[in-house]
Amino acid sequence: MNSKLSYDIIGLGLFGAVILFGVPAFFSYDGFELNTFARYLSLAIVSMALALSWGTAGLLNLGQAATFGMGSYAMAMHLKLKASGDNLPDFMGWNNVEALPALWVPFNSLTFTLLAGLLIPAAVGGLIATFMFRARIAGVFVAVITLAFLVAFQLLVIEQQGFTGGQNGLTGLAQLELFGWTVDIYATSFYYLVGGCLMAALIFGLYLTHSKFGLVLRAIREDAERTRYFGYNVANYQTLIFCISAGLAGLAGMLYALVLEFASPTYMSVSFSLAIVIWCAVGGRESVLAAAMGAILVNLAEGRLSDVFVEGWHMMLGVLFVAVVMFMPRGIYGVIVDAGRALRRRGGSEEFAETPSFDTPLNTKQES
Amino acid sequence: MAQLEVRDLQVVFGGLRAVDGMNFDVEQGEILCLLGPNGAGKSTTLDLICGKTQPTGGSIRFRDTEISQLLEFRRARLGIGRKFQVPSVYKELTVAENLSVARSSRPGIWHALTTPAVRRNQKSREILDLVGLADKGGVPAGNLSHGETQWLEIAMLIAQGSHLILMDEPTAGMTIQETDRTARIFRSLSADHTLIVVEHDMSFVRTVADRIIVMDQGAKLAEGTIAEIEANEAVKTAYLGH
Repeated sequence: MNSKLSYDIIGLGLFGAVILFGVPAFFSYDGFELNTFARYLSLAIVSMALALSWGTAGLLNLGQAATFGMGSYAMAMHLKLKASGDNLPDFMGWNNVEALPALWVPFNSLTFTLLAGLLIPAAVGGLIATFMFRARIAGVFVAVITLAFLVAFQLLVIEQQGFTGGQNGLTGLAQLELFGWTVDIYATSFYYLVGGCLMAALIFGLYLTHSKFGLVLRAIREDAERTRYFGYNVANYQTLIFCISAGLAGLAGMLYALVLEFASPTYMSVSFSLAIVIWCAVGGRESVLAAAMGAILVNLAEGRLSDVFVEGWHMMLGVLFVAVVMFMPRGIYGVIVDAGRALRRRGGSEEFAETPSFDTPLNTKQES
Repeated sequence: MAQLEVRDLQVVFGGLRAVDGMNFDVEQGEILCLLGPNGAGKSTTLDLICGKTQPTGGSIRFRDTEISQLLEFRRARLGIGRKFQVPSVYKELTVAENLSVARSSRPGIWHALTTPAVRRNQKSREILDLVGLADKGGVPAGNLSHGETQWLEIAMLIAQGSHLILMDEPTAGMTIQETDRTARIFRSLSADHTLIVVEHDMSFVRTVADRIIVMDQGAKLAEGTIAEIEANEAVKTAYLGH
């Protein structure tokens, strides 16, 4: 076991304690505040999912919002059907849809919905990844292709009004019933559901990054060509991490639709997708834990500041991103690790060599 | 039956016949040195064997398998390792992590998912001892000196456990002492590994080579032991131009 793994476990433990015990206590178990925080936690999942593909494997997926949206629509379709009872969902009537489309029928089943929210995004991600990585597309072209997919997919959702509710999205949803438990989004239990999902996703992400799979992905990020000469099928490794990342984004989308009680095409917008990149970069894309914290911190700041500076907020977010890219390219994570290393060096310990080098900047050819 | 059989190998880059009708065999456990002036096609021959370049004609048989149309990672799995001219270690990974990536006898995803990133074991320690990096396991490869980087790469090739290792100028930029040490490592390797080495340093070639092939303009000019090559008139003409 190396020291990096033990730091990550300590970090995860602290993070878990704050999220599961600290935050509810701080808000005195106030349902409304916890609901807001649950929203940040669901966004933390999509941010850590991006850290897996971008930070670990160097694949900048600008279409993360598309798979996030798929998850949110899967959940919203189930809840919409539940809310409509035996009738057609209301918006279908407005769009002259006579019978429930075949696409919608299986979403009557909760099990199908939960599986679909994870597996459809993963499958779509896997399909795009298969085509991209078998053709050995890398670097900025991955970002361009995924961005193009995002825009096309959002257009499709808006166009197909009879199936998707178009620009309005899916509103007027029922409450989710999970194995006999009716999910009340203003209850503490719902907060724990989202927090639990985030912790599970983080443990899974840390497992992946500390396995040889994660190591080979970091090797691929640095030099895919060299890694092939060791016998690794690079395309398979890239495709799998892309799939996993898309599936986790789907999970985040499902939770997000629950928190906000609607699904909307704005979840699949370019600006939302870029916001995910910002959270991930601010926290530090090399660590899933840091990326999750980045999402929580930026959204927390947005929640507090956008009330005060309604117009100026986006400007501030932009300045924040530029500042992060220029002055701390490895995010808050990089600053903390650097500081820790400097402290240990001053303490005369020779162990500092265990952490990765910061004198060598991240390989920029794989990224934008 | 030779370990590697190259027959009528040729590759054309936009009209230039970089390799034009190469024929040679390499026996198990042999160290073969490729010599020749710049542009003779030495590195290209290595590229063709490891899969970096696809041949336009001819065949390459490795341990009775035709490999000339296989993707590079499939050839690597059959046991062909490659060291490039430019040291190509993973600078952001530590020495131990580099070695772990190189230990790729099981390159599948499932094995990777169920194995920790770095396993410190006897074999890794022995390899690091051999190249003198035993106390640097936790150092990022980007912080190593030039010579250490070269050795790390050699260590990675040993860890990969390839039957056939292709080396492109392994001693480039090394001091005399480092070159000597590399020569010793190579001699100790030949028990388990076959080596094809492209090298300009003649004293190094004298120390390690079992056999030499001299190339000129994409084709084989001469073949033999170091003494035979040094006495060969055609070689003198190609190098000295008279």
